[in-house]
This record gives sequence, C-alpha cells and structure tokens, in this order.
Amino acid sequence: MVSDVLSHRTLRRRDPMAGLAHGGIFIGFLFGLIGTTIIFVETDIIKPLFGVTFWKGDFYLFTSLALDIGHLAAVLGIVYMMWRRAILTPTKLDYLRTYRGEETVRPPAAKWKVEDWNFISVLLLIEISGFIQEGARLLMDQPEWAAWSPVGNAVAAILGGLGMSVEGASEVRAANWWIHGLLGLAFTAAIPWYKAKHIISVVGSLSVRDAMALRRLPKEVDEAGSVGIVNVEDFTWKDMLHFDACTKCGRCHEACPARSAGYPLSPRDLILDLRLHNDTRQGVAIEGEALIGDIIDPDTLWACRSCGACQEICPVGIEHPTMIVRMRRQLVEQGNMDPLLQATLNTIGDTGNSFGENARTRSAWTRELGFVVKDIRQESAENLWFVGDFASFDPRNQIISQTFAKLLKAAAVDFALLHDGEKTAGNDIRRVGEEGLFESLVEHNLEEMSAAKSFQRIITTDPHSYNTIRNEYPEFGDVSEIEHYSAVLADLLRSGRLKVKAPLKKRVTFHDPCHLGRLNGGYEAPREVLRLIGCEIIEMPRNRDNSFCCGAGGGRIWIPDQQGTEKPSENRVHEAAALGPIDVFVTCCPKDLTMFEDARKTGGHEDDFVVQDIAELVAEAVALESLVPSDTPAPAMPEPAPPAEVVSAQVKPTIEATTVVAPMALKAMDWDNLTPVQPVELKPYEVPAKEGPRILVTIKHAAVLGDEHAFTEDGCDIENEYLEHSLNEWDDAALEEALQIIEKLGSGDGEVVAVAIGPEDADISLRKVLAKGASRAVRVWHDSLSGADPVSVARAIAGVAKREDPDLILTGVQSSDHAHGSTGTALARILGLPHAAVVIDVEWDGVSKLVVTRELEGGTRHTIEIPSPAVLSIQTGINEPRYATMRMIKQAKKKQLDILDGASVIDGTGGYAVRRMYVPEQTKAEMLSGSAEDIATFIANLIREKTGG
Amino acid sequence: MSGILIIAEHIQGELRDISLEMIGAANSIKEAYGGPVSVAVISDDPTSLAEQVNLQGVDDIVTVDVGVSHFDAAIYEEVACQLGAELKPGLILFGHTVNGMACSAAVAARLGSGFASDVFGLQVIDGELLATRSAYGNKVNMEVEFGGKGVVTLALRGATFEAPEDKGSATVTARDVDLSIVTGISRHVEYQEAPPSDIDISKAEFIMSIGRGIQDQENLPRFAELAERLGATFGCSRPIVDSGWLPKPHQVGQSGKVATDCKLYLALGISGAVQHLFGMKHVDTIIAVNTDPNAPIFNVATYGATIDLFELTEALERQFN
Repeated sequence: MVSDVLSHRTLRRRDPMAGLAHGGIFIGFLFGLIGTTIIFVETDIIKPLFGVTFWKGDFYLFTSLALDIGHLAAVLGIVYMMWRRAILTPTKLDYLRTYRGEETVRPPAAKWKVEDWNFISVLLLIEISGFIQEGARLLMDQPEWAAWSPVGNAVAAILGGLGMSVEGASEVRAANWWIHGLLGLAFTAAIPWYKAKHIISVVGSLSVRDAMALRRLPKEVDEAGSVGIVNVEDFTWKDMLHFDACTKCGRCHEACPARSAGYPLSPRDLILDLRLHNDTRQGVAIEGEALIGDIIDPDTLWACRSCGACQEICPVGIEHPTMIVRMRRQLVEQGNMDPLLQATLNTIGDTGNSFGENARTRSAWTRELGFVVKDIRQESAENLWFVGDFASFDPRNQIISQTFAKLLKAAAVDFALLHDGEKTAGNDIRRVGEEGLFESLVEHNLEEMSAAKSFQRIITTDPHSYNTIRNEYPEFGDVSEIEHYSAVLADLLRSGRLKVKAPLKKRVTFHDPCHLGRLNGGYEAPREVLRLIGCEIIEMPRNRDNSFCCGAGGGRIWIPDQQGTEKPSENRVHEAAALGPIDVFVTCCPKDLTMFEDARKTGGHEDDFVVQDIAELVAEAVALESLVPSDTPAPAMPEPAPPAEVVSAQVKPTIEATTVVAPMALKAMDWDNLTPVQPVELKPYEVPAKEGPRILVTIKHAAVLGDEHAFTEDGCDIENEYLEHSLNEWDDAALEEALQIIEKLGSGDGEVVAVAIGPEDADISLRKVLAKGASRAVRVWHDSLSGADPVSVARAIAGVAKREDPDLILTGVQSSDHAHGSTGTALARILGLPHAAVVIDVEWDGVSKLVVTRELEGGTRHTIEIPSPAVLSIQTGINEPRYATMRMIKQAKKKQLDILDGASVIDGTGGYAVRRMYVPEQTKAEMLSGSAEDIATFIANLIREKTGG
Repeated sequence: MSGILIIAEHIQGELRDISLEMIGAANSIKEAYGGPVSVAVISDDPTSLAEQVNLQGVDDIVTVDVGVSHFDAAIYEEVACQLGAELKPGLILFGHTVNGMACSAAVAARLGSGFASDVFGLQVIDGELLATRSAYGNKVNMEVEFGGKGVVTLALRGATFEAPEDKGSATVTARDVDLSIVTGISRHVEYQEAPPSDIDISKAEFIMSIGRGIQDQENLPRFAELAERLGATFGCSRPIVDSGWLPKPHQVGQSGKVATDCKLYLALGISGAVQHLFGMKHVDTIIAVNTDPNAPIFNVATYGATIDLFELTEALERQFN
C-alpha cells in the first residue's frame, strides 16, 4: 500500500500525464503536510516545553526550498488537471452513460462535475494564496536567503515589478493570511464530505485490498441467511471503504470489455451507484426497495465477464468483480437469469459438463490418438491432465487436445487423465454466482483426485480450470500444483525435449487469456514458446495486463449476446487486424479459440489472418506428425458400441428374458371380456390432512442417450451407464405451473406434491422439485417397472393419487426420452377424471372450475372449460420454470419423501412389452453430385415428397 | 380377433392428413392381420367428411352425429368404445396428434387393451401385431408387442404412413351413440387461430436455414423469398442473428430454438457449429449445402452438396417458380 501510494504506480498506468499531474499535487500536499507538521511540533510542543527552536538555519532553508518546489509541482498538476477537464475532455470524465442511451448527464453526475471543479479550484486557490503570502513576506523582509524560496521570490519580484510597496505587501499579507487560512481550514474541514475524502479513504481501501481478489472468490458464509448481496445491509465495511475510495477516475470504465461492447456495465458507474445508494440509506435497507432491480439493473451484473480488467487498473484497489459475483449469487437464488444460462446450469448439475454429454464421452477425443492415454484412477503418472469441458467436447478444441497429447507423447512426458471421473472445474460456474453447484463440483473433482493413483502435478490447457484449481481448490482440500500448458511447452522446448525442426518465421500476435495473464501472471511462457519456435510476435496495443477479454468469461459464454452490441471478440480481432500483415492470431485458451475463430469470420477478417492455438504452432514447428509413433497398440478407451447390425438385440429375446416387462404375462382378452385398468393398491403412508388445494405433479427423471450406447443383455433397453438423467422439461413446466397456481390462489395453505415412478436415481429430480417449492414427494418403484409402458406407469401414479386425493393433477405432455404423450390421459381415465391434453394456459378457481387452453398443431388454440379435479398435461412454453440452486437442493433434503413398493403395479393390464431395441440406420450425409440443376431437382423432389407439396 | 377401427380426425370442418395416413397404415397390415377396415367419422355433419375417407381398402365408414363440430376428448373416447363394443375390432387406430393424445390412451386404459403411441411402424408376424416407435429422443427404435391381448389401441405418428391414392367403395352407415354420460362435462369455448406472421422454429416441420455462407445482408431477401416459395419456415444460424440480419425467433440452435418438430431441414451455407447442430441434428432428413466438404454439418446431414450456394439457389428458384 505504502509503495503504491508513494510510487503512484497504479495512477501512472495508461494515463501517464494524469498520473504525473496527480503526483505533483500529491507531492505538494505531502511536503505541505510535513512542513506544517514541523512548524506545529516546534511552535506548539518543543518550544513551549523545552524552549528549543530548530526552525532556522540550514534546516529552515532546505525545507523552504523543498516546500516551494512541492507547491510548484502541485500548482502545475492542478493546472494540468484543469486543462484536461476543460480542453482535453476525455469521455470517461463526462459521466454520460451512453451505453444506456443517456444524452444528458443525470443530476447526481452533474453534481459530481461541480464537485470535481470545486475540488481542484479550491486547491489551486489555496496554493496561489500560499505563494502570494510567501511573496508578500519576501517583498516585505527582503531576506538574504530569498533565493531558497525560488517561487516565493519570483512572486515577490512580480509583485514588486507591479509596483507593490512594502506597505502594500504588508496589507496584502495581512488580508491574504485570512484568505489562505480560511481556505485551508475550509478545505480540511470539508474533506469527509466530498471528493477530497479519497485522501484518507484510499489509504484504507488500498490497505484492505485482497491480493487474491477475483482469482479466489469468497465463500458464501451465511448458509442459513440471505445468499450473496440482497440489500445495502449486506455490504461489509470493506465494501463501503471501497465505495468511498472511488475518485471517479474512469480507468475501469475505459478498460471494461462489456462497456466497450455497449453492454450496460461500467464498473465505475456501478460503484458510484452503490455509493450513492449507501450514502442515502446509510447501511439500512428499507422495505419495498430492491437493491438489485431498483438501484442496480440485473443486466448490468450479467454483463460482466469476470476478466478483472477493472480491479486490475483501479488505482485505489476497488474489487468490482467480487461485488458483482456476490450480487449475482442473489440473482441466481431468485432464478433471475437468462433461460439459456439456467438451462446450462441445470445441465452441468445433471451431467457435470456444460455440453450435456454423457461422462463416458469426455475422453472420446483420445481414441483417435493411436496410443493409450493412462487413466489416473488405474495407474500413476507424473502429470494429471485436467482437460476441462471445451477441450473435451468441442470438436475444434478436441483437435487441440489431441495435438497437445501427441506433443506430450513425442516429448515422452508421462501423463494421465481422470477420463469420465472429471467434471467441469467450476471456475465460471462460481463466477456466474452458483456457489452451491461450484462447491459440489469441487468436492467431486477433489475426491476423484485424492482417490486416484499418485501424480506429481496437474497440467491443463484451460486457463479457467487453471485459475480455480490453482487458487480456489486449495480452500476446499489438498490439491497438487498446477501448470498451464504454455509453461509445459516452454519447458519442453527450452530443455530440448521438443526440438524445433524448422523455425516457423511467422508474424503472429498473441492474445493473453484473462485467467492466465491478468489473474495469474502467466504472460511470459506463451511468448517464450512463440519465440522458441521462431515466430515474430507483434504485440497488440492492449497486451499483458491490459489484454482485452474475448467476452466469454464469467459465464457469458452461456448467455446470448445482446442485440445491437459489438462482441468484445470482434473488437479484439479488429485490433489485431490493425497491426498490419500478420499470419496468425495465437490463443492458448479453448474459449478464446472458439470466440476468436467466430469473430474472425463475423468481423470480416477471414483474409487477414488465421486463429490458431499455440499447440498447433508448436506441432508445426517440431514436425509433430513425423514424431508420434503410429504403431502403438490398443486404444485407451473401450471401443464405442458396435453398429446396429451386430447388436445382439436383433435376435428376438426369449420369453424368459423379458418376463420382467409385464404384458408377457397378459391373458388374451376379447371385447366381451375387457377389464378397465385400475389404480394400483399401494401401502398406506403418512399423508397430511389437506389445508388447502393440493396439486399432484408427475415427475420423470428422464434419460438422455449420448452418442454411444450398449444394449442390455435382453436387448430390450439401453445399459444405464450410457444414459444421463435429468428432470423432464415438460414435468418441470407442469411443476412450475402448479407452483404458480398455488401462489396465485394466495391462501398459503395449498401444496404441491410431486410423484415419480422410478428407481432411487429419480430422487435427484424429486429433490430438485422439492427445492423449487413442492411440499412433499412420493416415489413408487419396483424393478419390474423398468421399461414399463405408459399405461402401467399411469396405474402406479393413480395409486398415489388415490392416497393423496388431489384437487388437480398436472403432468408434462410427454417425457423427453420416450415421448409417449399418453401418461396423463391414461391416468385421467384410470381415475375417472376429466382431462385436457397439451395445455398452454390454465385458469382455476381453486375449487371446481377450470378454463384451459390447448395448443393444437400449427399454433391453433383450443379453449375449453372442464370441472376439477381433473388431469391436465402441460406443454412447455406455458411458463419459465424457476431455478433450484444447489444450495436449495441440499436444503430440500429435509422435506418428506415417501418411497413406496410398486411390486403389484404390473398385473397384465399394461399397454405393451418391449420386444427389442435397435439403432435405426445411421444418417451420414450422402453427397450429391452433378450440376446445380440436378441437385436442385433432387432437393425439390425430396421437399415435395416430405411436405406433400 | 381381427378388424381395424380407425378414428378419423378433423378440425374445423377439414379432414386432417393423419386420417388418410391411418387408412394407408391399416391397409399395409390388413392382409396379415385381417379386416375389415372401418373408419369412424365423428362430427355434427359427418356425411360430408365420410366421402373423403372413402379410399381404397376401407370396408365400412361409420358416421356418428354427435351434435357438435369441435373436438371433445370425452365424446371421442365414448364413441370409440361404444363402436368398438359393436364392431369388435382387434385394433383401434388414432393419430398421435394433439387431439389423438387426448383420447387414445384413455380408450386403452378403459378397455385394458394393448397400447402404444407415436407408432411409425406396423408389422404382423405369426398373427401377432408388432409396433415400432422411437426411444431415447429418437436415437433408437423400440419394437413393442402386446402379449396376445385381443384388442390393441395405437396412436400413429403423422407424415409417416402413405395415404392410399385411389378412391374406395366402402359402405357408409350412420350410427347413433348414447352420449348422455359424457355430455356437458366439458364446454367448448373457442378456437383461436395463430397469428399468421408467427415464426416458431420449435414447431416448424420444414425449415430452410441460412448461415454465413450467404455472405452479405443484401442477399437476405432472396433467401427469405426462396423459403417462402418452398413453403419452409425461415431459420438461420447464430451469426446471422448476431449480425442483426434476422430477428432472434429465426435462430436455430442452442441459444435459439430447437427444431423440435422438424422433419425436413435444409441448411444453406451453414458450416455446423456445435451450437447450431444442437438445435437440428436430430431432424430426420437434413439436406446440407456448403462449399467446405469438411464442414461438420455433413456429419449430421442425410444429404450433402458442396456446390456453390447461389448457383443452387437459382436452380431451386426455377424448380419452385
């Protein structure tokens, strides 16, 4: 802190003139402070007590000279500052929020301008009056040592030159003494009330600065109470010290990629808004006023990319991103987020990766390598490679992963993966504000790593994983040292384990990833790599700590871009293109590669340069293809499931194999001997007495099949390990509708009860709906229900309905896996209730009358009125389902969940039995040849055939 | 047990295609399964629709005047069950449509019959009926059987079975059905047409999407017009929306809309970023046109062509003039 204040390091950066000017004012102030303190000490303490004086002789002369120079510096600084504000008028100082479409300055901002001018004007007056005082005195006394006060002497000469007499000087001195004194006193007294307070608050703000800010976000401490920052009362004294320290200098405003791209976020304006609000409320929230919403726009908070540019450049040590994330935590808690982000968080919660892929395919990219990649859970290795989501699942980045793997192989580096044991590291999930989900991911990955065989260090190609594993994981458990692959490559090239065959001689520019460079100081390794492989680096104007974010950080990669904004990535490629001829725009971050490859195309630079990962350049320089042995045996992972024709399911299974699936045991019936399906008789369980309307919602823990599969032995289903499960989205909509209906009815006595027919795994979805607001849940299961048809499932649900006696039953229209679209209708008939299918609007009086609108094909709507109780199947789009944070899900474990035995459900009255399952013919593009006319004819025929046109 | 009873579907006086497709489906197994094929038309004015279902292979047409023209699930269910008791068919067919979904499973539960929905394949092996439907988000097929049940109710997938082309010579009989127990349970309020300009990618069955390959915003109207001529919903990939060339509802993909109901997808100048594929790779028939033979779009496409987009567009314009 002391060195920052004295050196003005943070002030000089990217605005050296302002830094210099501030330095002048600072020195003037500092020397003035020292000078007056010395006089005070002598006059008021030492002289009266001991009769000693030292304010004389050489000491006096030297101090006088220093003070003169200091104050001159201050005057020059102030004059520059005034000139800058009046003539240079940098846009960052106009306080106009053009990114919000403001055309005139808001009243508080107009006040700031007055405040700013007031501040420097008073300062200047104090300085000038001080010099006049000195000049007048020198003119009066004409001492021999006047030259030791050069400025004062010059002022005296000017005053004398203007014809001022000694008497005149005396009068001026007497009057000016009051002016100077009163100005000084007024200035000092006013310090706490306006901009001048930064003189004090900065010392505090810089002292409490967190060296790990943003690199390591704070844990959510208050588990039971409010999450994140709800209102002004949740700000700490440290936050408030930061608010008070802001001098509105605008360095963060300039550096912010969100603001540059036209998003409604300026870190400075955010801090100023918070400060104004806090000053008004004095740390006490008032009823009916929402900090997030009324004071701070949620879009402002969602615009942040967690790149850290603002806090990095802030001269007074404000930690904007940390505050933003803490406010985001509250937004996540409220479910106030973009639907795509919400879906992604759900996906990550369900599958452990943002791509929604089955964990089995996480290391699918290794299969084409031609050599075995160790599994750290099976055998030890020197290095554990934590791959991360993009590098594992994104096709373009898979190539980079393969390239780096081959480079490691060629350099004989011993490495292993966690394979399907890895889940996304959680860096961006934490920055989104989903702290509970982040923690569960950390716990998982740490468990996997601690259960693994030994390894010395972790390596990764992903700067985001790198940051969180390096800085945040240690707070949760022991974790090995981690190295970014740029450092690994630099080491391999330097040590000669990778030898450059031919220097590339390419002109390249390098983009510093925020999470590697600014947050973790990894500026040099990638540059060293580029130099070692013979590239000429042409730096972009914004490089190293001033690197400009690609726009994907902080979870923004999961939030659609706002209309009418320039993508930060496009802004960046324009910067690269302006460098003149370059060959390659080099990245060393999977998200960067994705963002900039896109931006290169949309930004119109396809002819200017290519975007490549640093590993690709290294591969080229060392002639990688000639190095990697291709005769290595056995693939690292089991072969993917064999294609359809060899699948055993082609053989009709024996009767024995499928007897678990009910209808095998069915008796033949005819029209004279038909038996309606009845609700199953379930064992009684504790059903609380109804205190209001009760809505039963059916929940399916629906399966998603990834790109690989294997059939069960009987050939009637998919092996469970190839399936990912999640809350069926139609049921999610049904649950949301039920919750909204109960909320709208308002009495507070109603309840939503969830029912699932499924194995233990289904509790995951039940916990989720309990977290969202269902009061209780019931699950029915028996192994004989595996693969059950919709009528049998409806019979099981009907058994629960008999016990619950609900006033309304909502089901999803269908499940995303088997899409029967039948369970609700069958359920209604088994229970003898009226029903409506594919409902997109519900009005219910809570007692007996339902007006529902059904959505027919082509968007036609059909409104009907039916009595309740009834069964409605709910279509997605009827509402936006709320989000259950991992914290809420954990808390929902306290809610009642009854598990009932469903052994008697399958009784032969069900709808079907699966005979076999098989893969339909693979669709692989059949390439059409011939003239444009031929192809058009083919396409036209196909269109006519398919559309019946 | 033999005989097939088809419950025809219509909306606002118009017979829906699925009604005719069900006849085609019934015909495909009629020989192996056994006739007759009967079609029930339920309406307040069934005779006008009856003639339209009189297609090759239909043996009887039963008209039931229920006094109302709109769809009422309870009435359809009641009629199907009562006609069933009278005609004693082994197989009752519904369409797997929004209205079919509202009654087929109810009929099955009430009868305790065999049941499967969204069926797109029918076979009879050794006298036993087998139905094929999809599982796990259309990634695999499942073949289901009905354990020797004497009566099976099926809901058939639309745009799958071919309707017979030739007229038939069925007898048309009007029957009365006692609807007293279902009358008045539900009250029809209204039908509301969708606003015509509505773009709904998730519900479109045929989508023509454009990507960066169209090169310039100036080319946009030309492709919009082509989509209209083809009768396709006009979709696009993310960069087109990002560039502000088309509004958001047109976007297919992870951050746009998933082409849930799409059967045919024509991708023009789309390379196939993973986000885009997310929204359409499941579509049954995908035609992709892109000059880069390695474009990922070809990994999910049914047919591909690497021809110049504008040449092809010209040729297509001539085809659909």
